Amino acid sequence: MSQRGVAWRESRRRRTLVGQVVAYTVVTLGAVVLMIPFAWMLSSSLKPLDQVFADPPQWIPNPIQWHNYVDAWTALPFTQFLFNTLFITLLGMAASIFTSALVAYGFARYRFPGRDLLFIVLLSTMMLPYVVTLIPAFLIWRTLGLINTYDPLVIGSLFGGGPFFIFLMRQFMLSVPLEMEEAARIDGANTFQIFTRIMLPLVRPALLAVGIFSFQGFWNDFLGPLIYLNDLPKYTMTLGMFFFVGGTSEAPKWHWLMAMSTLIALPILVIFFLAQRQFIEGVMLTGLKG
Amino acid sequence: MMPELFSQAYLPTLLRYLFIAVGIGVTMLVLYQVLTRLGVRAEAATGYTLITPWLLGFLIWTAFPILASLYLSFTEYNVLQPPQWVGLENYGRIFSRDIDFWPALRITVLYAFLSVPLGVAGSLLVAILLSTNIRGLGIYRTIYYLPSIVPAVATALLWRWLFNPDAGLLNNFLRPLLRPFNLPPPNWFGDERFVLPAFIIISLWGIAGANMVIFLGALKNVPRHLLEVAEIDGANAWQRFWAVTLPLITPVIFLQLVMGIIGALQIFTVAAFIRYTPAAGKFMNILIYQAGFQQFRMGYASALAWILFAIILGLTLLIFRSSEAWVYYETTRK
Repeated sequence: MSQRGVAWRESRRRRTLVGQVVAYTVVTLGAVVLMIPFAWMLSSSLKPLDQVFADPPQWIPNPIQWHNYVDAWTALPFTQFLFNTLFITLLGMAASIFTSALVAYGFARYRFPGRDLLFIVLLSTMMLPYVVTLIPAFLIWRTLGLINTYDPLVIGSLFGGGPFFIFLMRQFMLSVPLEMEEAARIDGANTFQIFTRIMLPLVRPALLAVGIFSFQGFWNDFLGPLIYLNDLPKYTMTLGMFFFVGGTSEAPKWHWLMAMSTLIALPILVIFFLAQRQFIEGVMLTGLKG
Repeated sequence: MMPELFSQAYLPTLLRYLFIAVGIGVTMLVLYQVLTRLGVRAEAATGYTLITPWLLGFLIWTAFPILASLYLSFTEYNVLQPPQWVGLENYGRIFSRDIDFWPALRITVLYAFLSVPLGVAGSLLVAILLSTNIRGLGIYRTIYYLPSIVPAVATALLWRWLFNPDAGLLNNFLRPLLRPFNLPPPNWFGDERFVLPAFIIISLWGIAGANMVIFLGALKNVPRHLLEVAEIDGANAWQRFWAVTLPLITPVIFLQLVMGIIGALQIFTVAAFIRYTPAAGKFMNILIYQAGFQQFRMGYASALAWILFAIILGLTLLIFRSSEAWVYYETTRK
């Protein structure tokens, strides 16, 4: 290697080092700032109410009041709300994953007249504000006599799970090589067998991503339950929390609210930690390349 | 309580869910048979069959509701009596007499236009810093991603309280900093001037991480050899970014801007939880919810929804138009 080449490499290494130090510092600072609200939420969920408002702020609760969690949970029938939420989430998630994969498979692998136009229509529905369809949808469910049931919250997911999931799934399927499907077809497998035995296993990261996104969507949904559910025992967690905050005229019990906020975020945090690697890779791989 | 709710609420829904799932499946089979009988190629018939769930959903839950909503926006409809045709009255009233409309429109559009570019720029910056092979990448990715998976409900409650003017953490930090200037700390949700910045801060906290993950993917797709060639040609890091990386990721930036603005214009949950304080932002979706589902003025609410729809469409088209000038697609190179 020439001398110039060596010198170039040397200066490059030094520059990378300086760059890395700067990058580390900025990124770490950002991470700390992002985590402060979490830490505050957690710390306050364990404080007595009067300590929540201490000035200067007190980061370590003293004493640690674990019973805040129990108190908040039992202030309303949250065990019931949890089951209701799980019911909606599991039904909606299962349907979203399966039907979005099915539709995406059609768009990704089969040629038919009007396919590209239909796909553009599908994409453009992503731009549609949900409130435009919300009112007529409400009126349809009302006509069917299904207000105050879980149907309006879960049945929509049987119809492809929404344009974003179909889009995500299709992008992923496009990156899967054709050979294996062709081989299976020569071996006499039908479309459904190819879809379930070949395609689905190959797009596992995308299934996982749609799974997590839809879990998050149903678990966190607030507007849907707010509009469609009337009886307290049928409420979901988010809806329970809403009335937990605003329903009473007394001052909010912040330590309870923070305890419930922590609890409601917890399952998603756990799922995310377990699936973190695959999930982020799934989103990144898809890259959402226009 | 539990068994009672199961038989009264869970089981009927579960049965209807299964019934409709089977119904869609049967529709698909029938459609396939009909199409092949009609002489449609097997591949095309399979394609149409596979997209049937979405197509049905589109007709029932999108196309028909859009038209219905447009019709309703010209009526007065309180759900109990049949809709009364009133022509353009709803729209006229919204534009001329609704005291909430213009402030709502203003804060909604400003919120979208300020929070989205800030969020995209910030998350791009973090993604660039994280795209060098630094140690602990997984941990950083997770930390940055975490805020976006916190339920909007929890986010709203958390921030409503961090922004509390008297006891909130933020003002506890700000107070000593503002004291030398004799400035009082902001009354975030109680003061018109601070509502918008507060909502923007919340959105930045919540969305930046999700965008960052997508940017990381895009940055990974930038071919290494292009960067190396530029480096050997003597381009410094800034020049390499400006001339090579940035053009290659413009499609992703574009997509994030479009999706971000569409999403931001439809803010609801966070605003619904925070609106409890008097002056806090009444966004468009809050107005629509109040008109439709609290006052049961479905026609009026539909008109509001259509105005929001028109705005979203207009802004999206505008960004699409502008994209021709700055979005770089690899295909144009060939």
